[in-house]
Amino acid sequence: MNKTKVLTPQERIGKKPDKLFLFRSCTGSIGYPGTESAVREVLIKLGIDVITDPDQTCCSGAVAGYSGYPPEASLAVTARNFAMVEKKYDADTYCFCNGCFVHISHYMHDLQTDPDKMANANAIINQWGYDYKARNNFYHVQELYYLLLDEIRALVVRPLNGLRVGCHYGCAYLLKKYGIVDDHELPTFHEQIITALGGVPVFYKERRSCCGSGAGRGFTHKESVVHPHLVRKLDSAKEEGVQLMTTVCPGCNMALDAEQPVLAAQGYGPYDIPVIDLAQLIGLAIGVDPKILGFTANTVSLQGVLEQVGLGKGA
Amino acid sequence: MSREYDRDWDPDLYKKIDKYNSVKNLEQCLQCGKCTGNCPVAAITPSYNPRAIINDILAGSTARILDSDEIWRCMKCGTCYRGCPVDISFTSLILELRFAALESGHGQKYVVPANKFVFRSMEYGINFVPGKRGMERVMKLRSDMGVEPFPKVTPEAIEQFKAIFEQTQTLRYMEKLKTDTEKPLRLSYAEGRIVNE
Ligand code: SF4
Ligand code: SF4
Repeated sequence: MNKTKVLTPQERIGKKPDKLFLFRSCTGSIGYPGTESAVREVLIKLGIDVITDPDQTCCSGAVAGYSGYPPEASLAVTARNFAMVEKKYDADTYCFCNGCFVHISHYMHDLQTDPDKMANANAIINQWGYDYKARNNFYHVQELYYLLLDEIRALVVRPLNGLRVGCHYGCAYLLKKYGIVDDHELPTFHEQIITALGGVPVFYKERRSCCGSGAGRGFTHKESVVHPHLVRKLDSAKEEGVQLMTTVCPGCNMALDAEQPVLAAQGYGPYDIPVIDLAQLIGLAIGVDPKILGFTANTVSLQGVLEQVGLGKGA
Repeated sequence: MSREYDRDWDPDLYKKIDKYNSVKNLEQCLQCGKCTGNCPVAAITPSYNPRAIINDILAGSTARILDSDEIWRCMKCGTCYRGCPVDISFTSLILELRFAALESGHGQKYVVPANKFVFRSMEYGINFVPGKRGMERVMKLRSDMGVEPFPKVTPEAIEQFKAIFEQTQTLRYMEKLKTDTEKPLRLSYAEGRIVNE
């Protein structure tokens, strides 16, 4: 196993891809559909050919990660999705959900290192003419934004005017611990992106902590785990005057955004901190039409943020 | 305080629990407690102690582990693994423990709610599809943004997705998990001691 902890984005990805396969996420296309469109628009503005395909299904990892069912199905689903990408496009895949990232990386690793698992998965997908060979690489789009930081900076037309942004990294990307683009304990690459957009990154105390909803706890442990944890997190963001929080996982986005009124009803906060995907913020700064960014899906309104970047009412 | 019996201990417990061989190196645990010190759930729930869970597994206490409510609190954030000096994947251990608990008839109520969405995903090829009212909201949101009202997945892909769940016996596995056959959870840690729930 490669024990290098931090790679530069150049070492991790290499040069900027001409084309990529964009792996759609369930929550990022249903609960917060602005996430998918924002990622797509940002990549297009960066001059990258973005491929999506309705033959792609759910990564199937989320509920396996809740221990809802054993891993065999997810191994075959992973093999099928990526055999499809290999066969049709022969392109590297980028996802925009930390959950997809951790599960797919995990199953890909299992398939690539355990010949029995690979053979079993392929035996299932062969019936549809697929054969997974693990030819292409797999990344999260946050790694690509970091690689293209200078290009993003050059594209900014709607600077954030000192907006105080608190980054939420989430767990699943950084918990890879080895071979990732920043230090897992003290990452700063999101903050570097915020600075490039003209915002002020805020290092709030609970910046590195979880959204609380992982592994299905949002379904079963709302009162005992999720809410007390979110209160700690959001309190610390509020103390530091965070005006907007960014995520790189639609699941985190849902937990951090949609639970705020519930916490307020219990007497916490009120926080009123809007939460959006990092791609939505990049999109906003580089001039993507706000209508396409889908902010209407958010529970906590973005009106104040939009006004600060010079977009008045009705945007 | 519940009594522990000889039958509650099993020297081969760890080998049985790591069924998918996803942890591999639990025996290297130094019992340093960094996992517990860094854990956000332990910070709000002092009875939750990843280090103690590892200790009890290595000692072979089935009752303290599989019948306990504690293993269901973890949100799998991985902070324990990130700080662990010997790279023990406690998140993988939790996954294995939960499978083992379900096999022994405990904890169904913690997975059945999420599995409802999986049954639904057999019709759509994607997960977390909302009910009727939620669906109307999503379709309006997406239409206002100028994209197709619902994310498209081809009928072939949906059929193949479902076939994978059938052919790996996964659907049958999920159908067998029912909350009404669940055995009650017996034990929980409190300030380092075992107490009845
Ligand atoms: S941090 Fe690692 S070595 Fe230390 S007690 Fe936890 S699992 Fe064991
Ligand atoms: S993964 Fe679980 S045990 Fe580890 S730090 Fe997070 S909540 Fe605690």
